[in-house]
Order: sequence, then structure tokens, then C-alpha cells
Amino acid sequence: MIRITIAGRFVHFSREPISPGTAYLVDGSESAAAGDWDVIRSSVTTVVMGDAEMAAEFAAGSADAVRAVYQAYGRLVYSVAFKVLGDASLAEDATQQAFLQAWRAAPSYDPARALGPWLATIARRAAIDVYRHTRRHEAHAGLESAEATLVSHPPSLDELYEIWEVRRAVDSLPGEDQEVIRLQHFAGMSHAEIAERLQIPVGTVKSRTFRAHRRLVNLLAHLRRGDASPAQLRPAGREVSPDE
Amino acid sequence: MSEDDRIAYLAGIADPRLSSEDTAEAQRLQRILTEKALWAEPDAGLEQRVVDLIGDAAGESPPDSGTASVSRIRASRPRRRRYTLLGIAAAVVLAVGLAVGISVAVSNSSSGATTFAATLSGTRLAPGASGKATLTQTTSGWRIHLDATGLPRLDNGRFYQAWLKNAAGTAIPIGTFNEGRNVMLWAGVPPSDYSTMTVTRQTAQGGPASSGQVVLVGPTRQVR
Repeated sequence: MIRITIAGRFVHFSREPISPGTAYLVDGSESAAAGDWDVIRSSVTTVVMGDAEMAAEFAAGSADAVRAVYQAYGRLVYSVAFKVLGDASLAEDATQQAFLQAWRAAPSYDPARALGPWLATIARRAAIDVYRHTRRHEAHAGLESAEATLVSHPPSLDELYEIWEVRRAVDSLPGEDQEVIRLQHFAGMSHAEIAERLQIPVGTVKSRTFRAHRRLVNLLAHLRRGDASPAQLRPAGREVSPDE
Repeated sequence: MSEDDRIAYLAGIADPRLSSEDTAEAQRLQRILTEKALWAEPDAGLEQRVVDLIGDAAGESPPDSGTASVSRIRASRPRRRRYTLLGIAAAVVLAVGLAVGISVAVSNSSSGATTFAATLSGTRLAPGASGKATLTQTTSGWRIHLDATGLPRLDNGRFYQAWLKNAAGTAIPIGTFNEGRNVMLWAGVPPSDYSTMTVTRQTAQGGPASSGQVVLVGPTRQVR
């Protein structure tokens, strides 16, 4: 994450460095337009922020920092919550709770840990809390959730770690690659059906899907090598059992 | 077994004889790729709700002594309350309208409606920009909610225009706006066919055609 200032004034957090040809809001009001680049270039400061600094900004409650952390990790947190709960609306509730709990816990965030896995662990716990709350409410109302058994044993850290890593890899693929992978695996389409959907030749679909899978496999190479492990998702303190 | 063989198997292009270990690994990845959770897209408004939630909590018990940004969040609350009151008033008007027999297409907001989502990335013209869009099918067409950040406000004859584009490159305009936050757009073409969403910078003097200055782009994908 990058913190950008122009002439000493905070502009915004960004995942990309500032560049010419782009207009930026300065202090939320003034515009540094594309044509002014030569004028402002000398006063631009970009600082690459580490997870610890990002967490500190997040803990301070800065709306820009909250947005930056959400934009970097929101979809991953949502995926973890969705995997636990199997419901879009509940997953959104859990995502909100996860970010709130993370904000409350941010002052004690251990900078030795990566921010993403720390958030994932919180997301899992928040999702389980949402599930329990929903079940209690349903039981109180005399309802029995048909999906209760689906989440009575929440996914393990191993499963969530796989989802987390694959989602991160898929999200970093070009949109064209994401599309063919999604159509093939999630939509269950054949290459011919994908060709018809995208209005391109089957041969192009095959070459595109091969290229997309190669990129995906390369992005996930660390899993094959065993460089990373589900332990990254475990909290620094105690382990959380699935039924806790 | 070569890496290309493993990728060809995963991509469904060939069926080479893989070792049981490679087969198991490929099948595990294939299983994950079919997971709904992997492709699920949060609502475009979730980011704002998270920001508001933390802004509210910061107002009550800041873990830090507070910043200018927190003050900005606090300042926005009365406006939200006004919107809430307006929303309640609108709901009352709607209920009265229904009572006297006005036909309202409430099915437009049905939770079962076909829905697409798009995650938009900033181009080299706007590398700090990003956006999320939710496209919901209604009886009148596709209602599109766009929430984009990192785009400066454009005024005085300058504005943004959103488009849906198909594989042949035909772009259909779906609306213009000055700021990217909480924008409502409408399309008369389905995102299944027009599967790329873009946003361009335009000028009033430039006429109705696209300026070609694309600041945001991303594919649409069905989520429901």
C-alpha cells in the first residue's frame, strides 16, 4: 500500500504509484489535473507502507485507511465468511463485523504477522459468531434452519487457507483470464460453450484457458513447494476450535 | 510428467496420464475453483458500510485519539440520518401509492433477480481508481449500481460516461455522472452479452461518441 502526498498534503492511499495523466484530489477539494503534472511532480511524495503502518492507520479510524484495507482484503474476508456461512447476506454481516473487530484489535496487532491472514482469522471467528447468533434467533422464533447442518462444522483453517490463496491468485489475474477460468470451472462450461458465450473461436478459448491456468498455477507455486502453510492463518495466541 | 501436461489437464485441454499425486493436486484445485465462496462478490455498497461502521465506532470509543478523517466520518452522519428520514418518507409515499392502486414494479428489487457484478480497475489514465458495480435485472432493464473511488469530480462540461461492451467491441452507453460514488445507471442490453464495463472521461463538446479515455474497466460476471 502506498501513501501519496502532494506538497505535503495527504492525497490518498493507493495500491499503485502516482503517475502523469491522472487527476488527484488533494485534501478532498483541490484537483491536481493531468496538465499540472510538471508543476506538481517535484512535490509528490509516495511512501510504500508496510502492514504494520497500514494497521496503525487503520486503528486510527482514518476513513481512507479503512477503505484501503477493505480494498486490499475485503473480497478475501468476504470469501472466508461466505465459505463458513454459505449465504451472501450473512457473509456481508460477518465481513462488517470482521472489520469492526479487526479495527478494535488493531492497536494490539503484531507487526510480525501479515495483515491478510490476521484478518482471515478474525473473519472466520466473526462468521461463526454470526452463524450462532442467527441460529439462536431462529431457535427462539421456533424455526429450524435447513442449512444448519451445512455450517455446524465450520471449514478448517486448511480449507480457508486454500480458498484465501486461490482467490488471491484469481483476483490478480487479468480479467480475461479470470473469465475463462470462471466459465470453465464455476459455470461448468465446455470450451465450445465458452467460445459461443465469448464469441471467439474454440481454438482461441483453448489457448486462452491454457495461458490462464499457467498463470494461475505459477501464482500458486508456493503452495506446491510448501513455502506457506495454513499456520499463517492461525492466531498468534490460541487456536480456535471449529466449534468454539 | 511435464508442467505443461499438468496445466493441460487442469485446463481440460488434454487428458495426459498423470501421477496419482499430480492428479489429486489438480483435482483439489479444480474443486476449489468450483466453490461459490471463491467467486462470490460482496455488494458494491459493503465498503461504504464498513467505513461507516468503523466511523461510528470511532466516534464512540476511538482506540486512538482521533484524526481529521474520523472527523469527516462524524460530519457525514447527519446527512445519513437525513437520507434515512427521506427513505422513510419515500416508503410511506410508496405504501400510500400502492393502497390507491398504483402499480409499482416491486419485483425490480427482488432478491431473486438475476444479478451480475463487475470489479473495475483503474487504467493508466487513473491508476489509483477502482470500482465495483452490481447489475440487477428488472422489468425495465438492467439497474446498475456503481461505486468507484479514486476518480476526481468532473464539472464544467466534463463528466464520466459508463459503457457496456460486447466481444465485437460494440459499446452501449449506460449513463453519465460527475462523481463515482453511489452512481445509479441503467442498461437495455444484458451483461451476459455485453460483458465488459468501462468508464470514460468525456467533454460536452466532444459529442456522444466515446472519447476513448478509459479510466475504469472490468469484466461482468453472474453472481446470482
